[in-house]
Amino acid sequence: MTNMDLFQTPRGQAIVLMAPALAVYSLFAIWPMIDVVILSFQDWNGIRENRDWVGLQNYHHILYNDPVFWVAFRNTVIWTILSVVFPPLLGLLLALGLNQRLIGRAPLRAIYYLPVIIAPIAVATMWRWMYDPFFGLFTQMLTDMGLSRWIVDWLGDKEVALYSIFVAYVWQSVGFSMVLFLAGLQSVDKSLIDAAHIDGANRREIFKHVTLPALRPTITIVLVLSTISSLKAFDIVYGMTGGGPAQSTQMLALWAFTQSMQIFDYGRGSAVSVVLLAITLVIVVPYMRWSQRREEEAR
Amino acid sequence: MATVEIADLRKSFGAFPVVHGVSMGFKDGEFIILVGPSGCGKSTLLRMIAGLEDVTSGTISIGGRVVNALSPKERNIAMVFQNYALYPQMTVAQNLGFSLELSKMPKPEIEAKIKESAEILGLTPLLDRKPSQLSGGQRQRVAMGRAIVRDPEVFLFDEPLSNLDANLRVKMRAEIKALHQRLGSTIVYVTHDQVEAMTMADRIVVLRSGKVEQIGTPMDLFDNPKNMFVAGFLGSPAMNFLTGRLAADGSAALVLGNGERVALARRPPAAGDSDVVLGVRPQDISPDPENGTAATVKVIEPTGTETHVLVELAGQEITCVLGARLDINPGDEIRLSFATPAAHFFDAKTEARLETGSTKHEG
Repeated sequence: MTNMDLFQTPRGQAIVLMAPALAVYSLFAIWPMIDVVILSFQDWNGIRENRDWVGLQNYHHILYNDPVFWVAFRNTVIWTILSVVFPPLLGLLLALGLNQRLIGRAPLRAIYYLPVIIAPIAVATMWRWMYDPFFGLFTQMLTDMGLSRWIVDWLGDKEVALYSIFVAYVWQSVGFSMVLFLAGLQSVDKSLIDAAHIDGANRREIFKHVTLPALRPTITIVLVLSTISSLKAFDIVYGMTGGGPAQSTQMLALWAFTQSMQIFDYGRGSAVSVVLLAITLVIVVPYMRWSQRREEEAR
Repeated sequence: MATVEIADLRKSFGAFPVVHGVSMGFKDGEFIILVGPSGCGKSTLLRMIAGLEDVTSGTISIGGRVVNALSPKERNIAMVFQNYALYPQMTVAQNLGFSLELSKMPKPEIEAKIKESAEILGLTPLLDRKPSQLSGGQRQRVAMGRAIVRDPEVFLFDEPLSNLDANLRVKMRAEIKALHQRLGSTIVYVTHDQVEAMTMADRIVVLRSGKVEQIGTPMDLFDNPKNMFVAGFLGSPAMNFLTGRLAADGSAALVLGNGERVALARRPPAAGDSDVVLGVRPQDISPDPENGTAATVKVIEPTGTETHVLVELAGQEITCVLGARLDINPGDEIRLSFATPAAHFFDAKTEARLETGSTKHEG
């Protein structure tokens, strides 16, 4: 087959046209992913010329001899559960509210979406200032309201820090769910709502029997994306506490980074990454399959 | 079953008026069709009767009770939508029973009602299917079933057949008519299709730009249209209009713009100084090789049973329905007679019909 022939078929044209993107994607996304899996079976400090095969030693270490891994694991689980519940729920409520005919609806939508486009590291910095135990906004507000006994060291208290970061995370991510739900609400058939009115349904019943079923595909997407982004929570934690105090806000993604880039144990860092990848796939793949089946049944 | 009374009903969306003071009354058990071009306010009117749209002013009464402030549920009406509006996640049976379930009717009673309406509409084998597994006609039937189970006083139909293909539309038209005869309930039906209006209605309401143009039985509107709009809207193909002046010599003839004379069956009362519009249905035009007015054939459309011929006459296009097999070609000249007693005359300025009272049809 000559070069000319290759261009003649649609398949050939597709391959040729996709080649540049495919090359970049392979080099910067697919190959690093494969390399991380290989690295997780090796011992390497990032500088040495040779990467030594150590078999399952890295996995053995992080699972049996690394207390921080389990703290990070527990935090990641809590974080994921909270992120799957709160941002989507608040996003849905905001979307329902901003789907009504309100004055200033368009600017409000933009304002609620704004935090999504701010870099997480900037969000972390803003919120770190607001959480400052002496000069921060929250401390000031509580003092002014005469509630100074409620003041805690938001990011310095081991029991509170994780949840303080989570509030900032909700503030940043709620707009994302909101926009997806708003888009989903546009697809709700108006005549179905009319039909439900005629059938005698009240607002709650219309929501249950018309809006919610129509939002089902959107809910699947929002939950899957929330799960994935919460499992890989890194930048906002890194920017606010760096995993402290005393590893109390350590996360798997952050711990993988710390192991590799700060402790220079690329083998262990990669092993943590691979475990995180496995957890993500175990949660997301079955959920997507299940919801796809449900959608097909409903169709 | 109930009467529907509408008094000086108005509706504005913001500052934009859509319905301008409409009054009409429907008798108990009547099949009423609201017809008009898109944007005439017919759907808005129906939605106001349903309670889906607020009334700006005026009153709507159903069964003698003013329902302006009542919710759709309290009006005891049922509505069938153009896109069927079936709940996609529910089976046919659940769709049928949904309103009854919401009204807290006991389960066995709901099941009996579902069974009964499914039998009326031939839906029994489909009860466990989802709407997505049904054809367009079946979905339409489920939508009607959902209306029937509630025993409403008034059925409202919003262009229910527009999403169906031509054959199915003819079939469903007959089914809806049969259903009306069987249930005997009041039906208010909106369509832009004048054939649906003519074939199904007890009475037709012709609307234009939010105003009632004329109300009457199909044949009454067909034979005695009040104005050019009603005359042109009902009937297929549409009525032809030829503008000219009545012959100065007092004979029964119309003189067209180019001086051509068109012989008439009678001379209408003069409309003062203004031009007169002759309205003739395509079926009432006949070939007349000796005394007819000359016209040039432009397009020939054989339908099998008859032939639609588009001709040009004094710069105006005229459609006529002629015999099944014709030996003519585009470009030919034919002579046509417009001297039919069924012709109508309109004032060119006001578009109102010049002769009041009914036109007698002879032959």
